[in-house]
Amino acid sequence: MNSLVIAKNLVKKFKDVTAVNDISFEIKEGECFGFLGPNGAGKTSTIRMIHCVSPVTSGMLTVTGMPANINSRAIKSITGVIPQEINLDVDLTVDENLAIHARFFDIPRAQARKRINDYLKFVELDQKRNSKIDELSTGMKKRLLIARALINAPKLIIADEPTTGLDPQARHLVWQRLRELKREGATLILTTQYMEEAEQLCDRIVIMHKGRILKEGVPKSLIEDEIGSEVVEIRVPKEEDEKILSRLSIAGAAHERVGDTLYFYCRDGKDLMRKVVEMNLHNVLNRPATLEDVFLKLTGRSLIE
Amino acid sequence: MNLSYRIYYVFLRNLISYKRFIFTTFLVSLGQPFFYLITFGIGMGAYMGQFGGRPYLYFLVPGVLISSVMMSSASECMYGTFVKMIHEKLYDSLIATPISCEDAVAGDIAWGMFRGLVSGVLMLVVALLMGILPVSAVNFILLLLLMMFVGVLFSSLSMIVTSFAPNFDFFSYYSELILTPMLFFSGVFFPLDKFPAWMKAFAQFMPLTHAVNISRSIFSGQASQGLAFNFLVLIIMEAVAFNFGIKLMKRRLIK
Repeated sequence: MNSLVIAKNLVKKFKDVTAVNDISFEIKEGECFGFLGPNGAGKTSTIRMIHCVSPVTSGMLTVTGMPANINSRAIKSITGVIPQEINLDVDLTVDENLAIHARFFDIPRAQARKRINDYLKFVELDQKRNSKIDELSTGMKKRLLIARALINAPKLIIADEPTTGLDPQARHLVWQRLRELKREGATLILTTQYMEEAEQLCDRIVIMHKGRILKEGVPKSLIEDEIGSEVVEIRVPKEEDEKILSRLSIAGAAHERVGDTLYFYCRDGKDLMRKVVEMNLHNVLNRPATLEDVFLKLTGRSLIE
Repeated sequence: MNLSYRIYYVFLRNLISYKRFIFTTFLVSLGQPFFYLITFGIGMGAYMGQFGGRPYLYFLVPGVLISSVMMSSASECMYGTFVKMIHEKLYDSLIATPISCEDAVAGDIAWGMFRGLVSGVLMLVVALLMGILPVSAVNFILLLLLMMFVGVLFSSLSMIVTSFAPNFDFFSYYSELILTPMLFFSGVFFPLDKFPAWMKAFAQFMPLTHAVNISRSIFSGQASQGLAFNFLVLIIMEAVAFNFGIKLMKRRLIK
C-alpha cells in the first residue's frame, strides 16, 4: 500500500515552545491512523500541519507526494477536517452551512445538492435541514461537522478528538460513521485522548507525549508487548506492599504502585488470582489489559521489574 | 499574496448571513449620518446662509455621505470581523478549505466595502429626496466608484486595527480617538480654509480629507484644486492599508 502522508523529522515551534519535536511517521492509504496523547502532547499541532493550516517549522511533510504548506490549495481540496472545536457557521442554517462549504470547494451545484441530501441522511440530520445551529445539541453539531467534512468527497479525513464531550449514544454513532467511511476506502487520521476510541477505530497508532512519539504500532500488539494480556489491580495501603509482594512476586509479572493501587501486569492472571484469594485480599480486580495501561506506563511512572 | 477568485465565496457567505438582519442594519447605517444631516444641515444651515453661493446642505451632503461609508466599512471590519474570528471561529473553518487566509481577509474587506456602499447609497437616497444629487449620470457612477474605493480603504485600515485587538474595548480607541476626530478635521462640516497652517497640513494626512474633496468635486462637477493630489494620496494609502491589513491578519490567524 502507498503512503499517503509522510513525515520526516517534523518540528513545530511556537515562539519558544516546541509543540512537535522531531517526529517521523508514515500513514498508508486506506488505514485509520491514530495520534494518542494527553493534552499538550502535540497531536493537534501535528494534524494542523498535515491539513495545511499551520506552517511546518522544519523537517519534511508530504501529502500524496505534495509538500504540505499553508499555500497548498491542492492538499486542502482533497482533505476533510472534523475539527475539535465546533466552528459551524452560526449565522446560517444546517443546509446553508453545507451548501456554502460546497461552494468553497468549487463543487457544482447539482452534485453539491445530492451530497448534501446523502450526507444529512448519513449523519441522521435530514430532519434538521432548516434548523439554526443554536437549536442543535452538541452531538448533532459534531455530526454536522462530519457531514461538512465529507462534502468534498475527501481522500483524507482528519478527525481531531471527534467525540470529546459527547454522550455514549452520540459517541457510538460517530464511531460507526467513521468506520463506514473507512470501509468505503477513505484514509482516516484521528487524534484522541480516549484509549477506547483508538482501540475501536485505529489500525495503527502512535503515542505522543511532550511533542515526541513514544511508541508506534498496532493497538493489540502494543498492549501485548508493553503490558501483557491481563492486569490485576489490588487496592491496599502502601505499607502492605512488602508483605504482598513477597507472596505474589511471580516471574513474568511486572508490578507498579500508583497511588492507592498496586498493579500487576501478566500473561495470565489465574495463578496470581489464586494466591490473592488465599491471602484473603478483598479489593481486587482482574481485567484484560488495555491501551490505557500502555499509555499510563509510557507517559506516567516507570515500571519496577 | 495568495489571492484568488475565492474572495467571492467569502463575500457570498456574508451575503447569505446578511439577509437575516438586513433591515436592522439599514437603520443603524442611516442613523448617525442622518442626524448629522438634520442637525447640521437644517439646524445649523439656517444660520450659515449661502455657502459658496449655495445653501449649506450642498456643502454638507458630499462629506456626510463619504463619512457614512467610512463608518460602516470601518465598523464591519472591526466588530464584524472580530466576532467571526474570535467568537464564531469562522476563519478557522474557511482556511481549512481551498480558501487561503488572504482570500478570507480580502473577502471580508470586500464585504466591508459593500456595507459601506449600502450606507452611502441609503444616504444618497435621502440626499436625493432633499434635492441634492451629482450633476450628471456619469458623476453618479463616479460617486459609486468613489464610495467603493473609500469602503476598501477603511475596511483595510480596520483590518490592521483588528489584527491587534485583544478584545472589543480596543476598537473604541480607534473609533473615538481616530475616526470621530477625523470627521471634524477633514472638512466634512466646514471648510478647512480658516485652520492655521499646521492644522491644514495635519488634515492632509487624513484619508477622509482627500475622499471628501473628491466627493465634492463629483457632486458639483467642478474639479477642485489639488484633485489629482487627492487621488494620488488615496491610492497610495489604499495600497498600503490593503497590504498591511492582510499581512497583519495573516500573522494573527496562521500560527
